[in-house]
Amino acid sequence: MTHEELEESVPLYAAGALDRTERQTLEAHLLSGCASCHSALKDYQSVAALFPLGLSPTRPPRHLKAAIMSGRNPAPIPAEATPNEPARPSLEPGEWMNHLFPPIAPARSWSLPWAIGVATLLIVTVGGYLAWNAVAQRSEDTSNIQQLEASLQDKSSTLTKLQREIGDQATALTEARHELQERSHETAELKEQLAQREADLEEARVQLSQRSGARTGGTPQDELATLLRIPNVKVVSLTGSDMAKRAAGFLLYDARTQKVWLYSVNLPECPTGTIYQLWAMQTKPVSIGTFVMDRGDTAHLLVKKVANFTDAKTFSVSLEPSGGRPQPTGPMYLLSRS
Amino acid sequence: MDTPSRHATSTIDPSLLALVANGDQQAFSQLYDHSSSLLFTLAVRILGNHEEAAALLQDVYLEVWRKVSRYDVGRGTPVAWLVTLTRSRAIDRLRTRTARGSRATPSLEDGAAAQLDDQGPSPFETQTDQELRIAIGAAVAGLPQAQQQAIELAYYEGLSHAEIAARLNQPLGTVKTRIKLGMSKLRDGLQRWWNHGERL
Repeated sequence: MTHEELEESVPLYAAGALDRTERQTLEAHLLSGCASCHSALKDYQSVAALFPLGLSPTRPPRHLKAAIMSGRNPAPIPAEATPNEPARPSLEPGEWMNHLFPPIAPARSWSLPWAIGVATLLIVTVGGYLAWNAVAQRSEDTSNIQQLEASLQDKSSTLTKLQREIGDQATALTEARHELQERSHETAELKEQLAQREADLEEARVQLSQRSGARTGGTPQDELATLLRIPNVKVVSLTGSDMAKRAAGFLLYDARTQKVWLYSVNLPECPTGTIYQLWAMQTKPVSIGTFVMDRGDTAHLLVKKVANFTDAKTFSVSLEPSGGRPQPTGPMYLLSRS
Repeated sequence: MDTPSRHATSTIDPSLLALVANGDQQAFSQLYDHSSSLLFTLAVRILGNHEEAAALLQDVYLEVWRKVSRYDVGRGTPVAWLVTLTRSRAIDRLRTRTARGSRATPSLEDGAAAQLDDQGPSPFETQTDQELRIAIGAAVAGLPQAQQQAIELAYYEGLSHAEIAARLNQPLGTVKTRIKLGMSKLRDGLQRWWNHGERL
């Protein structure tokens, strides 16, 4: 029987409704020291002891007391001198009283050895069950811990794998960035090469144009028009000095061909025995070339090859004696801005 | 005739049993005066016969006289001990009689009708006894008839719950429940006496 069943049988016990086997089982349980059942039994036995008070009282016969007083032994029998008595089917009152409170000393009743035996059996049974239950619980706990550890290892393995994948992806991303940078550099180089190729192509076109111009009688103006379409051409403007305020001009320099193009307008006619001379003003004036403005000329185009054009700070055109001079000696007619 | 002191039956002093255990005849006489009416009423209720109840009571008191030293005040009140002893011996007699094929336990009405002359409260009954008698009577009367019947069959006729179920042709679980509920209600109904430390 479970403890709940035993506890529920307490009021039945107090009312006297249990059969012998059930009663002995509960008594063994009570002797085992169950405080809650003892307390419950105390309450219910107190109720049961009150039942006769609820009956209509009936007085005993008058002669009964005298019979009792005369029939008793000279003195009560001490508890230790228990005579041999026939076994009674009912519960001994002293034994019942033991159940009202936990036994203080070993009960002195004929059923004590049996009760102790039953109690011992119950204790052994309950102890065995508890031990078995503890072992089973420990086994179950161990199994659960092992499952948890296995699950933890799986999770750790998965996490490590994910971390490794993330690292691989980060490495791949870095490599992709490097490759992108390399591609960018290559693209820039390709662009430069493309520009160079375009310049070469344009030069080839110029040369082809010049050659075809020579063969077909083309003019420098055509070459100038071609030069104006080339990017990166250096341009220097020239203005007229007080000698020729209406004059103007500009220089074009093609670094690829190292050619200088001077296009001047409104320069006065060169007096006889004189020429115009173009100067590159470096640490000292360097002559680039000479040209002549005849009567009626309003513009002139001079083309010369200059190796160190970019070293010059300013340019100027002066009027010099025919044949030119190594240093400017005549008046300046065109001046570039510094 | 002995002159008893005015002690309630329900509150017999345990020291009285100690005096009896020492062979004090005066104390034994007082114990009889205070408890005999209650125990005789119980015996009559169980056995349904005055003569047999008287014979039972004689055996019970002689047993008390011989075994009173076994009584332990720490394990129950004197009245509870006496009531339990009387009920146990009465149920023994009842079963022995039933086994011999004698007639079944007479109804309470039969016994009551035959003993009308002896009915009435004991001259030793105190106001406390009367109040407690009223309280327990009200508590029992307040139970449903089925619960009251099941408890009475167990307590006064010594029937187990299985025997009660067979007698009433009711399921065993129903009988158990009736007894448990009835006992629980009685316990709660008598709480007032318990709270005043007047538990038997």
